[in-house]
Amino acid sequence: MKKLIILLLIGILITGCSEVKKEENKVYSFTYNDKNFILGEEFSTSKYGKEVRYAEVPSCAGQGVDKTYTYDHYEITTTPDGDKDKIYTIYLTDDSVKTTEGIKIGDSLENLTKTYGNDYEKRDNAYTYTLDNTHLEFIVVGDTISSIEYYIDIE
Amino acid sequence: MKKYFKILIIIIVFILCFIFLNKLVSPKYQTNLIEGHMIKEYYKEEKNHEVIFIGDCEVYANFSPLIMYKNYGITSYVRGTSQQLIWQSYGILKETLKYEIPKVVVLNVNALRYNEPVSEAYNHLTLDKMKWSQEKIEMINNSMLEEESIFDYIFPIVRYHSRFSSLTSEDFKNLFTDNNVTYNGYLMNKNIKPVTNLPTKKILGSYTFKDNVISYLDKIRQLCENNHIKLVLIKAPSVYPYWYSEYNDQVIEYANTYNLDYYNLLEKAQEIGIDYNHDTYDGGLHLNLYGAEKLSTYFGDILKNNYNLTDYRLDNHISNIYNQKLSVYNKNKGDE
Repeated sequence: MKKLIILLLIGILITGCSEVKKEENKVYSFTYNDKNFILGEEFSTSKYGKEVRYAEVPSCAGQGVDKTYTYDHYEITTTPDGDKDKIYTIYLTDDSVKTTEGIKIGDSLENLTKTYGNDYEKRDNAYTYTLDNTHLEFIVVGDTISSIEYYIDIE
Repeated sequence: MKKYFKILIIIIVFILCFIFLNKLVSPKYQTNLIEGHMIKEYYKEEKNHEVIFIGDCEVYANFSPLIMYKNYGITSYVRGTSQQLIWQSYGILKETLKYEIPKVVVLNVNALRYNEPVSEAYNHLTLDKMKWSQEKIEMINNSMLEEESIFDYIFPIVRYHSRFSSLTSEDFKNLFTDNNVTYNGYLMNKNIKPVTNLPTKKILGSYTFKDNVISYLDKIRQLCENNHIKLVLIKAPSVYPYWYSEYNDQVIEYANTYNLDYYNLLEKAQEIGIDYNHDTYDGGLHLNLYGAEKLSTYFGDILKNNYNLTDYRLDNHISNIYNQKLSVYNKNKGDE
């Protein structure tokens, strides 16, 4: 009986842990130097650091201003949501940074599918993986990843 | 009989109230999001244009017909709308040809990059104030995003019911009247914001224009051919979004295949005299008044020299209309 209760508790613990993990993996996020960029979250340079280059891209009819913050190895684009700017895309600009799951520019297609599986949508050279309303897109030229971008659906 | 009359009165009152409420909640696009008003202004015009521009913001912000008239006597109109997609350009051209047959249609090719509808908000800016026609229905059907319904367009109250709580004096003031916000489709902007930084030029999954897009370009070309109109392709000198060389090559190939003229005005920015530190109002996406006038003078010269256009400055009736327009234009520009 005692063993059964222990097994039951372990079972509950495992199930609980995997549920938490599943919860954590609901959307794509990118981590660099202990900074965790979560798509759809509010962006601020006080939280994520001073950019190397900043650009504004206004829409052509007052639909708001997208802002891009370029860092050494990646670029963040924000889009307005009310009075806040939310992270809309994260674009990796060189091979010195990896996705949270360990893929970088220059890796092979085989390595990509080994890491992320085959549940992707392929459009021309783009392989897109989706978690909820977030996407991780790899542009593969030949057999090599040439571009990596995270993005979120906007309403 | 009296009973039926009473019911009829109730039905009529209900319909009138419904029409009134639909009109009331519709955005008036007079002081806010004025780009939504542009499509409507064409209907009030005297239809005597030898050149019609179609395309997205890269036409309505960058080409000033009144400057082309002033310098060359060209009569033209810009039927541009925000993020006008290629199937919308086709619909607008078809509609235009019901009113007049110009000598030249100038199509900006920027929209060839978009194969799918992009934004519900832009759809409404293009379509809300367009007159009902077969073309409008086709444009709506081709432009709607998954979450949209045609009833959003037929009955504005469906789309804009939340505006009841935020109606402004504009909604009452412009319930039955409105003012032009453009000059023959040109939207004047005098602000100056230089080009400084631009986002990284991203690698794309594909640079090839999709079949659907090309099919609409074909339709526009055929429509022009059938009406003996010269179709001219242009790329306006906006520095962003990036006009990839792969895009440019495809337009050149298309133009060569069908013997069309293509002017990549982005490559001619220096020759035109555009100073990106002064001649743009939003960091290079659109030209301001100063840039638009330089571009219009440059392109007007091309039109005048290559397409056998009439100098309407010598026509009393037309010159009266255009001189009045120029007077208002110059006043708002600050010249008078």
